[in-house]
Amino acid sequence: MIAADRPEAALFISRELSWLAFNERVLEEAADPSVALLERVKFAAIAASNLDEFFMVRVAGLQQAVDEGDTACDLSGLTAAQQLAAVAERAHRFVGELYRLVGDDLLPALTAQRTRLLAFAELNEAQRVSMAAFFRDSVLPVLTPLAIDVERPFPLLLSLSLNLAVLLDAEPGETRHRLGIVQVPSGIGRLTRIPEPEGAAFVLLEDIIRAHLPQLFPGQPILEASVIRLARDAEMEFDDEGGRTQLELVERELRRRRRSDVVRLEVEASASQELIDRLCTQLDVPAESVYPVRGPIDLRVLMGLVDLPGFEERHDPPLQPVNVIAGEQTDLFSILDQRDVLLHHPYEAYDPVMALVAQAADDPDVLAIKQTLYRTSIGSPMIASLQRAAECNKQVTVILELTARFDEERNIRWARALEEVGAHVIYGVRGYKVHAKACLIVRRTPRGLRRYVHLGTGNYNERTARIYTDFGLLTASRKIAEDISAFFSALTGYSDPPRLNKLVMAPTGLRQRFLRLIDRERRRAEAGQPAEITAKMNSLIDGEIIEALYAASRAGVRIQLNVRGICALRPGMPDASENIEVVSVVDRFLEHSRIYCFLNGGDEEVYLASADWMTRNLDKRIELMFPIEDALHKAKVLGALRAMFRDTVKSRWLGGDGRYHRRGPSPGELPFRAQHELLLEARRSSVTREGVGITFHPQQHEPSRSQGRPKSPG
Amino acid sequence: VPDTQSHTPELVAVFDMGASAIRLVVAEVAPTQPIRIVEEASRGVLLGRDTFSGGVIRPKTADATFEALDGFRHIVDSYSVNQVRAVATSAVREARNSELFLDRVRGRSGISFEVINEAEESRLVYLAVRESLRGHAALKGAATLLAEVGGGSTSLTLLRRGRPNRSGVYALGAVRLRQQLDLRRHGHDLQVALLKHSIANVIEEIGLEIPLARVTQMVAIGGDVRLAASQIAQHDGDNGLRGIERDAFLTFCDEVERLDEDALVSRFRLPAVEAETLVPALLVYRALLSATRAGRVIVSDATLRAGLLLDFIEPVGRQAVEDFERQVLASAEAVGHRFRFDRAHGLHVAKLATRLFDELREDHGLSDRERLLLQTASLLHDVGVYVSLRGHHKHSQYLLAASQIFGLSAEETAVVSNIARYHRGRAPQRSHLAYVALDRNDRLVVTKLAAILRVANALDAEHLEKVQDLRLQRRGRAWVLEIDASGDITMEQLAAAARTDMFVEVFGRQLAIRLSGVTG
Repeated sequence: MIAADRPEAALFISRELSWLAFNERVLEEAADPSVALLERVKFAAIAASNLDEFFMVRVAGLQQAVDEGDTACDLSGLTAAQQLAAVAERAHRFVGELYRLVGDDLLPALTAQRTRLLAFAELNEAQRVSMAAFFRDSVLPVLTPLAIDVERPFPLLLSLSLNLAVLLDAEPGETRHRLGIVQVPSGIGRLTRIPEPEGAAFVLLEDIIRAHLPQLFPGQPILEASVIRLARDAEMEFDDEGGRTQLELVERELRRRRRSDVVRLEVEASASQELIDRLCTQLDVPAESVYPVRGPIDLRVLMGLVDLPGFEERHDPPLQPVNVIAGEQTDLFSILDQRDVLLHHPYEAYDPVMALVAQAADDPDVLAIKQTLYRTSIGSPMIASLQRAAECNKQVTVILELTARFDEERNIRWARALEEVGAHVIYGVRGYKVHAKACLIVRRTPRGLRRYVHLGTGNYNERTARIYTDFGLLTASRKIAEDISAFFSALTGYSDPPRLNKLVMAPTGLRQRFLRLIDRERRRAEAGQPAEITAKMNSLIDGEIIEALYAASRAGVRIQLNVRGICALRPGMPDASENIEVVSVVDRFLEHSRIYCFLNGGDEEVYLASADWMTRNLDKRIELMFPIEDALHKAKVLGALRAMFRDTVKSRWLGGDGRYHRRGPSPGELPFRAQHELLLEARRSSVTREGVGITFHPQQHEPSRSQGRPKSPG
Repeated sequence: VPDTQSHTPELVAVFDMGASAIRLVVAEVAPTQPIRIVEEASRGVLLGRDTFSGGVIRPKTADATFEALDGFRHIVDSYSVNQVRAVATSAVREARNSELFLDRVRGRSGISFEVINEAEESRLVYLAVRESLRGHAALKGAATLLAEVGGGSTSLTLLRRGRPNRSGVYALGAVRLRQQLDLRRHGHDLQVALLKHSIANVIEEIGLEIPLARVTQMVAIGGDVRLAASQIAQHDGDNGLRGIERDAFLTFCDEVERLDEDALVSRFRLPAVEAETLVPALLVYRALLSATRAGRVIVSDATLRAGLLLDFIEPVGRQAVEDFERQVLASAEAVGHRFRFDRAHGLHVAKLATRLFDELREDHGLSDRERLLLQTASLLHDVGVYVSLRGHHKHSQYLLAASQIFGLSAEETAVVSNIARYHRGRAPQRSHLAYVALDRNDRLVVTKLAAILRVANALDAEHLEKVQDLRLQRRGRAWVLEIDASGDITMEQLAAAARTDMFVEVFGRQLAIRLSGVTG
């Protein structure tokens, strides 16, 4: 336990407030008029969805701690109650801004571009008639209106489900208004399209139901009706990639003793105090957990407006990743026999990774394929390849980390299918989440055993590989192959965790290695040598790492950190972090790669990893870090990393006060947008590569903005 | 681009069942090519904890062994390995139920483990060390100590200019120490004090056999010292060698000895099994280093497994055997020097004895290994004179029985000591305990070789090396030993005639000794 009066506490930023700051940066993107409209709408929906998860996990955890009388402080010296209060204040402000943006800005802008979200009152007579028929035929049969009384207690409302709370006039002989609840069915699309001569118009399902409430409560005067939504303790953990993982058993056990698990109640701003009071009493929700909103509850619905056909120009131009090994030579094994391939997604295509596994599946000399899978996409070609390989009697080992509850069933189905054809499927490792991304292919050749390895910072998911920035290394290095073989043997329980040559693994050695690498820079700085740490990650929360960085900064190490999300480190503090800078880039692609560079007296060491500097990653996950040793690859990684610090468009710099602020270009300097530059850079280098025998594929050209659609080849 | 003319390497797997872990290495080996490791695996199984306390491997530990080997089988099977060698060392060697245990292992896992003796273990580790030190200054040094602290024992080899000079395996293992001192019963400080006391006693004894104080370089081998190296060493060239300055090593040991097992686990992220052996092992290394003059410890990645792999490709021709024989004899000479032996006489008798051995090959049916034992015994037969001339053959026996000669197992050393015992005096008797303690086969070997040695020794009765060579002429029932000699050999002839007693008994032939016609 950390004492409340710990003096170092001032050097740490509250994790929860830092997360809210991140979501505010996402909201800034939604508010940025220079961003394409539908991208802005998407950012708004993402920010809203992020906040839902934040409440269900983080706020729930704080609530739990408060309920248990836990008075321990976090790194920043705040008790759970203090954090909860600070979060509530800031979350209320955030929700206000989010809805102001959506209501005053985004929805009107969409309307101006002929995509309209209509209130029921705005429908004309003909439209109303058609809605009435829709309600009668498709909605009414699945509704279960409930009037609450002594016999019928308040129903259990599912977390994040939409409901109508209805206030009915009192029964004869009673004085108190009655409460009714109508659950909005989730099986019917929330957006119903209204026929319009041009453009697209939608009405929300809850509005259709509300307009027909009298049919549900016949003969009972309806005083008011408000859409409401609850967020409950998820008993789950959401990782930074939106994956949901079951909480560790111990934590879940702790949470089972909770008093009330509703952490947020959203109501429409028009709801009366009486209705709110009734709901709060029923649900055991304190007033500060009630969020009245001015607009549609659950803004994830906006996603439905984003992907309409015919509106491409309101998006960013579609991404056309460069395939670095496209062309005639498609034998990846022979390419990898000669050189390593480093891929930077989404600027460079994910295809080679899929192709490598596909080629391995069909190669008669391949003996084995081993792979970790975490949050892979459903119906992935990678799984088809693995299945084919297993059918050909290759040894296929898949270490599968089951994630979201909703897709667990589907995951299990294909996992079973793999098992049926003889693959060895391992459903995770007890006590640890397998977060490392590694694939190993073992192949016999006349010259001996050859092994091909893919190591990545992102999941084996070809869809997110188009949205997340990640690095992947394809290599036939013996030392790395030896490490990865041992890694898989350890994960399959055949061996104790190994000592590795090139790779570093969590939880067995990664934390210690990071601390040593940081400390080495510190010692170099103390010896008067130049010392630098440059790193990129999603979150920086671990106290021990942060303390080590402070020690390095005090010794004079120059530290540049690109932390997209939560950052508990407070930069620029006297006698602690004066030499530390923190920048966050929130742009079109989700910054996801983890890069760690240490100057090492000029012999710079560059590492890629699946892990963030989070306690969870270092202690409770199975993670891998791998060195980038090829000089050209080092330059490529460093170039991508340094671009983050040069960004003057989508970067925000963290101040000692915990606030983020932009630094525009200096006078006379052109604006620099890192993701955009990296996209251009990928194109340029793919053209350059043509000269060294790798053919540029003509279909990969990006269409210009005005054309809207990809050019046909030729 | 790899050399296209090279052989397709063979995939081999090596299993090593030690005191604290069972380990596996899969590798590609091909003659004239460096060994390429494919995969290494290990499972902590404290076989030594059973053997060194209760003397038997308990069922629970056996189960853990089976489970570990099941996993290893999966690994090995995934590569379609061509050759397997599986060895077990002290923890199994010393277990009373080792045969039953290994039989169950074979039944459960299909892997046949071979129990190797200390000599074979030293030889294999030496192969690996020599490989890792190839071209390193330590191989050229005047006195380099190779030290491996294992779970069951500590193996020491003194190299003089790269050749094994003295070696010994001592019951000073990390797991063994823990069990023997029953450390669990004590608090941490007392544990360390007990360890230090116990180690100091053994080191003192080692010092009587190996001149530690003259050691100028120390090469350390073993998992525990590798961990130390990973913490504090700077890289020292290739081949997985790392150097640690003497003071840095001593300081590190001081620091580590203060940590209990929980602290070790969290500080070094060690498996609990390894945390148990770290402090005892480092204290042994520390004590050894302190007893030497070495300025640094060179930590080599060499392991028994690496030695086993090298053994697959080690040239098995005459050259390798001669290499090994030279190492054994150099080590034997070192023992001789300790007892101020007459080196020239020893060498001469050894030469004559092996000549006679070679002449008698079809009669005695023994192999080159026994030839080496004869050579060693011949070299050292007179060391008992160091104690007293009177009955010196008996003194030779116990002195040699207590000596450690590189490359020879305890059983082989016993054979050598008995051969020396019978270079003169009475032939073996039922009342000769050291002789009776040998198994039947070894007793036969001793009798045959002692018979040869008695004759060879007689041929240098005056220690003047007059006999240069000999040939055996088989003429019917009587054999003639024709000798090339210079000068008057009357004494030698007389002595030899008197020493053919055992020869007659063993070979069933009378032996006459004649000077050959042509002499120089």
